Amino acid sequence: MKDWQFYALTALGLVLLPFVIHPIGGYPALATQILLLGIGAIGFNLLLGYAGLLSYGQAMFYGVGAYVALLTVSRFFPQVHSIWLGILLAVVFVGVMALLIGMLTVRLYGIYFALLTLAFAQMFFFIVFQWRSLTRGDDGLQGITAPPLTFGPWSLDLTQRLPDLNLGIFGNLHDVTYWYPFSAVVVLGVLAFVRTLTRSQYGEILAAIRENEERSTFVGFDSKSYRIAAFTIAGVLTGLSGALKGLFDTSIAVDSLDVETSGSFVIYAVVGGVKTLFGPLLGTAIIQYLQNVISGNQHFGEAWRLIEGVIFVAVIAFWPKGLLGSIPQPSEFAYQPRFRPSDSLPEAKPMTEGIILETKGLSKFFGAFGANSDIDFKVRAGELRAVIGPNGAGKTTFFNVLSGLRSASAGTIYFKGRDITRMPGPQRVASGIAKAFQTASIYPDESVFENVRLAALARVQGMFAPEFLRRSGRLQQVDDIAHDALEQLDLSNVATTRAGSLSHGDKKRLDIAVALATQPELLLLDEPVAGMSIDEIHKTDRLIRALAKRMTVLIIEHDMDLVMGISDSITVLHQGKVLAEGTPAEIRANRLVQEAYLGGHVADAVPSSAPPAAPHTEANP
Amino acid sequence: MSTTATPATGKQTILSVESINTYYGDSHILKDLDLRVDRGETVALLGRNGGGKTTTLKSIVGWVPPRSGRVMFEGTNIAGREMMRNARAGVSLVPEERRIFTNLTVAENLKLAQITAARPGWSLDEVYAHFPRLQERSANKGDEISGGEKQMLAIARALVQDTKLLLLDEPTEGLAPLIVREVEAIIREIKSKGMTILLVEQNFYSALSVADRCYVIDQGQIRYEGTPDELRGNTDVLSRYLHV
Amino acid sequence: MSQLPGTLLDGLIRGLAYVGIALGLTIVFGMLRLVNFAHGAFYMIGAYVGLVVTEHLGLPLGLIAAPIAVAIFAVILDFALLRRFYDRNPTAQILITFGIAIVVQESLRLIFTGTTRSYAIPFWLKSSFNLGFTQYPTYRMIFALGIVVLIFAVWFFIERTNYGLIVRAGIRDRTMVQLLGGNVRQASTVIFALGGAIAGLVGAGASPIYNVDPNTGFYFLVPSFVVIVIGGLGSFWGAVAGGLLVGELQSLTTLISAPASDIVIYVAMAIVLMVRPSGLFGESELIRG
Repeated sequence: MKDWQFYALTALGLVLLPFVIHPIGGYPALATQILLLGIGAIGFNLLLGYAGLLSYGQAMFYGVGAYVALLTVSRFFPQVHSIWLGILLAVVFVGVMALLIGMLTVRLYGIYFALLTLAFAQMFFFIVFQWRSLTRGDDGLQGITAPPLTFGPWSLDLTQRLPDLNLGIFGNLHDVTYWYPFSAVVVLGVLAFVRTLTRSQYGEILAAIRENEERSTFVGFDSKSYRIAAFTIAGVLTGLSGALKGLFDTSIAVDSLDVETSGSFVIYAVVGGVKTLFGPLLGTAIIQYLQNVISGNQHFGEAWRLIEGVIFVAVIAFWPKGLLGSIPQPSEFAYQPRFRPSDSLPEAKPMTEGIILETKGLSKFFGAFGANSDIDFKVRAGELRAVIGPNGAGKTTFFNVLSGLRSASAGTIYFKGRDITRMPGPQRVASGIAKAFQTASIYPDESVFENVRLAALARVQGMFAPEFLRRSGRLQQVDDIAHDALEQLDLSNVATTRAGSLSHGDKKRLDIAVALATQPELLLLDEPVAGMSIDEIHKTDRLIRALAKRMTVLIIEHDMDLVMGISDSITVLHQGKVLAEGTPAEIRANRLVQEAYLGGHVADAVPSSAPPAAPHTEANP
Repeated sequence: MSTTATPATGKQTILSVESINTYYGDSHILKDLDLRVDRGETVALLGRNGGGKTTTLKSIVGWVPPRSGRVMFEGTNIAGREMMRNARAGVSLVPEERRIFTNLTVAENLKLAQITAARPGWSLDEVYAHFPRLQERSANKGDEISGGEKQMLAIARALVQDTKLLLLDEPTEGLAPLIVREVEAIIREIKSKGMTILLVEQNFYSALSVADRCYVIDQGQIRYEGTPDELRGNTDVLSRYLHV
Repeated sequence: MSQLPGTLLDGLIRGLAYVGIALGLTIVFGMLRLVNFAHGAFYMIGAYVGLVVTEHLGLPLGLIAAPIAVAIFAVILDFALLRRFYDRNPTAQILITFGIAIVVQESLRLIFTGTTRSYAIPFWLKSSFNLGFTQYPTYRMIFALGIVVLIFAVWFFIERTNYGLIVRAGIRDRTMVQLLGGNVRQASTVIFALGGAIAGLVGAGASPIYNVDPNTGFYFLVPSFVVIVIGGLGSFWGAVAGGLLVGELQSLTTLISAPASDIVIYVAMAIVLMVRPSGLFGESELIRG
């Protein structure tokens, strides 16, 4: 949808809403109520739909927003005859609150996150309930007249009615107060903001983190910051919803902070459709409308909550994407990357001289089990080093500790002379360590180009870039890095393919391309050819050799032909310890290695004097 | 010692896999794959990583059901049948990762296999006679025993059931050479008691030392079938598919 | 501090009630990896079925009917709806069970109205028991004993029976149990029914103490989740320890500030989650829940 279409259609819908519900038993105040609660649902959707976080504590932002707004206009600053101050203070207060709570909660997932947000909401409920001198506890705040809407000298009482104009079955314009147009303008603004946000660079990265957090972390995004931002924005929108609703109702009850309110935002968003722009608003409208019609009915009124529950269960069971989400969306795969000669490519970082990576006494324990114990390890810049060893020797653990996926139990890691033992993963990526995973870790629902572009974006934008409004544009530099990475791995011809539908071998090479797009100085490859066909192995062999000319490469691999053929030197791990280290020829001749790893058969299989059997073209270094 | 062992009588097919196609999501792993195992025979399925060896075993037991083709076991098509039913019919898979229940003791692991068996196989005494190490470690939890012991326990779990076809996925993987010899000896012994075995191995030498017949699989298709001696002599197949 | 012994006893009773509810939650999560927000609804169904049966046939039959009714309801629910959610993410599980909880709660509200109902218990159970340091209601003592028996019965079932062995193996590796011929699906249904039955029994057993209204389920559910999160999701003894801890914590807080007792458990849970997200007895592999 083009921008002007979006604005025109949304505005039209908002203008019509209070009148189209008239013939079916609605009334203008209900329309206002739908819009104001809908803002909170839209905020919640940002969390559940786009960040993948199920919060059961949105009531705290809603309730606190309402209390702050009402207290501002009635107690703190009654002399200010403008509605703006109440709204502003509410939003700022809730924003700070959401930021702090977000920092404490977003590192948890699933049930833990839901319960922790619920716990915070209960705490705020308690505070509001107990702080009687300010909040009047159980009685809540009542009869607080909202100050007028002001623009400079001009001011408007929102409870005033629009002019008399009979619209037949659609009611009378006079039934509508100015609250409705005001709410509609706010909602239009909120929708435009959320639409921009989800299409922004920030929104794109947030979605990527939701799709594959591990990969996002290891292209260098600080996923926690992205989630905190989403939590805060969602909190602010919910706070705004509460502030406006409180001012509209001229009252707020302490119950508005309870879990039922949190649950209602969940219901609105899920029924309408999470991950859609209008879904939460639609869900709010449907539920609010039905509630209004049904709970007023003398026969079924009592059963309203039951009916709501049945609707909710039915939607989750039969339309898990919600009513709006179940409508097929046009595919967003239309983008055709521009292929340009990569002359504008940013200069590769100069290679570090001397020792690029060193570990001293590095150990990793899982309980009492030492997966890595006391590993001393040195890699020269520009070297292609293989790490081999039997299954369970601790190779992957070693890589995980180097990349920061797991923390070391003891010992030190130096990268370019700097101690990085305690450095978090994304920061290590930023400083030049990238990793390709044993099982390709990619964004299956994005195009191949998009996969690599996200990594290049992390390279250019850093760990966290609060680009909330900038359209996820095509930064030329980012595109160039991405194209270059695809070309390096010979994937340009599949750039527009959905990554999830690639062949196994292509997925693995895409994973390497993603790592490469972070422009690393040290590239960790964990079994890059595992499961590849012979042809793919030969191709990947060539590609790795080419990469090794530009950067330091550490490779874990079981394919002995590949390892013996391409490595400058080899480290053998056995039972978590370094068993041997040397050139391929030395390792092949090493009796300890033959015993422990190659099962004693290697001497029969590959005579140590003969070149490897595979048709490698280059001689051993 | 065992009452379940019956010597191989003639060439009676117990398992016949008929042009199965198996997928992981979008990836087509097994392509019209055929293979056959006769009663009392030990068949090795060889090939590089990712060639489809493990997927073949998983397709047979119903772990990853084939989308087309038949898996005939004792004359019945078991393709797509639940894993549980196939196990109770006598098809036992000892998976690659061993999958010992680490929260249970060695004795409990064996007891579980006895409980879930349709008909009993070896008695506990027989198992302990063959695997004295398991008796020593019977009170240890599954995560407190060595890799070799785990492999023995995994095999023993299949033996306490009335297993008619034993599928072994890389039984020597990740084991120290001495332990590899021990596991090979155990496989030979089970074989000598008449068990039918389909063995998946990367360790070419280990597999050839116990197999009667072997298949070479690559990219989801059988590329070669022959006796171990024939395969040893076929340098083309060896270097092309097995890289030895 | 003369109320201290009585307060500690109250905390113990309350804690045991939480343990009773949390037991079902934790074994269902451990075995099925299902986050069941409808567990409080099971408690309520037990409480109301117990109420009706007790009124007509007496408390003992009420205590028998409640768990059976809930077990039947749980099996139906499992077959009709929940089965497809076993392999879905925790968010989908929370949503569907949250929805079921609303439906059950509101159905019960329509049937039994919103008023608080109390059980008709035999006269002799209404008496008090002299413990030396304090007088204590006899029924509460019996309830406490009953829960302790229940804890050990469940423990025995899981740790000492053949069926329990299948269950424990299934907690670690469902696929391998099936590869050995074990009927995991049946075991899942049994565990789900058992979890429901326990909740139903506790619901009927606790209601003579705490009474029952349509909000009781949620009132007990949330603390029970707090209990198993503190104890470690899926951990048996974690649920027991967590339940007693939370019960005592709430009770002791009433000595300082009665209203604060509702909130102290959330503070405790927030601290535990932030310091040790896997809970006191839990496994860190479950953090992603």
